[in-house]
Amino acid sequence: MLARRIGAPALFVAPLVLVMVVGFVWPLVGVLVNSLHPNTPQGIDAGHWTVGNYARLADPFYGEILLRTLRISVAVTAITGMLAYPVALFASRLSARAQSLFLLAYISPWLINTVVKALGWTLLLRTNGMVNTLLRGLDVIAAPLKLMLNETGVIIALIPGHFMFVLLPLWVALSGLDPALSWAAGTLGARPSAVFWRVVFPITLPAFVAGLVINFIMNMTVFAIPVFLGGARNMVASMLAYQINLVQLDWPLGGALAVALLAFTLTLVWAGQRGAALLAAGKGLQP
Amino acid sequence: MSLELVGVAKSFGTVRAVDGVSLRVASGEFFTLLGPSGCGKTTLLRLIAGIHPATEGRVLLNGRDITHAPMHTRNLAMVFQNYALFPHLNVFDNVAFGLRSRRVPRDEIRTRVREALALVKLEALAERLPAQLSGGQQQRVAVARALVVRPDLLLFDEPLSNLDARLRDEMRFEIRDLQRRIGITTVLVTHDIEEAFTMSDRMAVMQGGKILQIGRADEIYRSPANRFVANFVGPINELALSGVETVGGRRRGKAAGELSVWLSDAADASRPGERSLILRPESLRVSAGDIGTENRFPAEIEDVIYLGASSECRVKIGALRLFAIMPTPLTAGLNSGQRVNVGWDARDGVVVDAG
Repeated sequence: MLARRIGAPALFVAPLVLVMVVGFVWPLVGVLVNSLHPNTPQGIDAGHWTVGNYARLADPFYGEILLRTLRISVAVTAITGMLAYPVALFASRLSARAQSLFLLAYISPWLINTVVKALGWTLLLRTNGMVNTLLRGLDVIAAPLKLMLNETGVIIALIPGHFMFVLLPLWVALSGLDPALSWAAGTLGARPSAVFWRVVFPITLPAFVAGLVINFIMNMTVFAIPVFLGGARNMVASMLAYQINLVQLDWPLGGALAVALLAFTLTLVWAGQRGAALLAAGKGLQP
Repeated sequence: MSLELVGVAKSFGTVRAVDGVSLRVASGEFFTLLGPSGCGKTTLLRLIAGIHPATEGRVLLNGRDITHAPMHTRNLAMVFQNYALFPHLNVFDNVAFGLRSRRVPRDEIRTRVREALALVKLEALAERLPAQLSGGQQQRVAVARALVVRPDLLLFDEPLSNLDARLRDEMRFEIRDLQRRIGITTVLVTHDIEEAFTMSDRMAVMQGGKILQIGRADEIYRSPANRFVANFVGPINELALSGVETVGGRRRGKAAGELSVWLSDAADASRPGERSLILRPESLRVSAGDIGTENRFPAEIEDVIYLGASSECRVKIGALRLFAIMPTPLTAGLNSGQRVNVGWDARDGVVVDAG
């Protein structure tokens, strides 16, 4: 009886589980194992075990890169969150046809190859790029702004690139919200601002947080945009991983970096969700 | 607190959902807006609540013009069809919502929420989330949440339509009883005739955004303003009426083209030909023997249908088909094909516009 109840669903998920185990879990275990072996000029020394690779990550050089990655990711996620909520609110109130066109505009950046997109941004943001030319033409600025080959450039290009990961779940939650909830709050004496902060926002918070988490993970792991818009002097974790694994060919150190990044990102995501759950639990938000 | 609507209208695009409604609800009265779906009753309720702005007319609450007042300033409360409980708040916080909006002190909130929950017998479930409650319990929370703010006006939008039949009957009397004890002016929207009849002091029957008739249940059932109202509030036999005349101070007319029938003295004799004679099935008598009604005709029984306490008797007078509902004992011995007499008293017939 039990076997039968589990049997059919297990059969349906089996192909995916197989793909994940072979294509993801197994290599990840390999990475973990590699990270615990010393690297030698002859290759990975599988005969010895060490935590030395992790100790090397404590070097301030790596710490700075990790901190920069985190700084950029948090900035992008925070700015996206503040911009996406009003956009989602607006989209959820459009007619069905207008909604799909409107959302397509926000999804479209994702339809373009990331390298092409990054190169496109350099045309806009470089010293003699379209933005600086326009601003100088309008006499808004005297000297060109430094909009790329720094963290600003990476942040500017990442916001539209990963916008839809916050927008879409939030839009689904907002357009599925029963209007009677807002009416009930309004007839009970809540001003429009209180209706938002005490009803609409707390109810859609889980979807909002889910979107922010995805956005944050995407920011932490993005590669092409930091390469083109940050440059070698503004290295982020993904560029470092590339260099260690594919240029230096130091797989044990690369493994240690990957494991550390994974643990770091998961901890932050867990903390974020936990915080949101506490915020939403029972009481709702007071204006 | 009395409510008055003066020529209130609401258009959505080219559709006039509410088309010039005027009515007065007295202080403490239980008033029902009754009508089929799409008749504009829910839109009218939302105009009163301030959810939609009225396109025309005025809404007065105790003489104060609230037509353009934002809904959070109206001091009324509404119970929604799906209850619209806040899913992220527990029962206590749902009920406390309106009090917190009004910045009531914390201690008073605790006391008043407890009182309101006691009123609907839900004290024990204050910590539960709405998703952990049954439909009936959710309904009670919605009522408590509305009553706790001591509104000037209580609005119900089809509050019982999501409950099963037995619970619905219980809640009808519970809500009615609660409303009487508190003496709060109440407007209820429903398409359910039984609900309207058992709960309200007076009601308005609506169709196409307009009010067709306002009155007590018995007035609307016994003296419907037109054919639509007559048909909506209960089953009818309808006979086309022609050639109304006055015979010896009493009115007489030709029903269904061939039957010469006595009409009630209240029957409007003008415009014969556009009128119908409406007969409720329970005012018809069918018997194998003599019947003492003013109008009586020989007929043939087509069918007798047993309904329990009452039975339905389908008869044919020539080509005219009528149906009567009588207490079951009176239909004993009646069978299909039998020759009988069928009749009714003149005062039981209502003459209305045929349109």
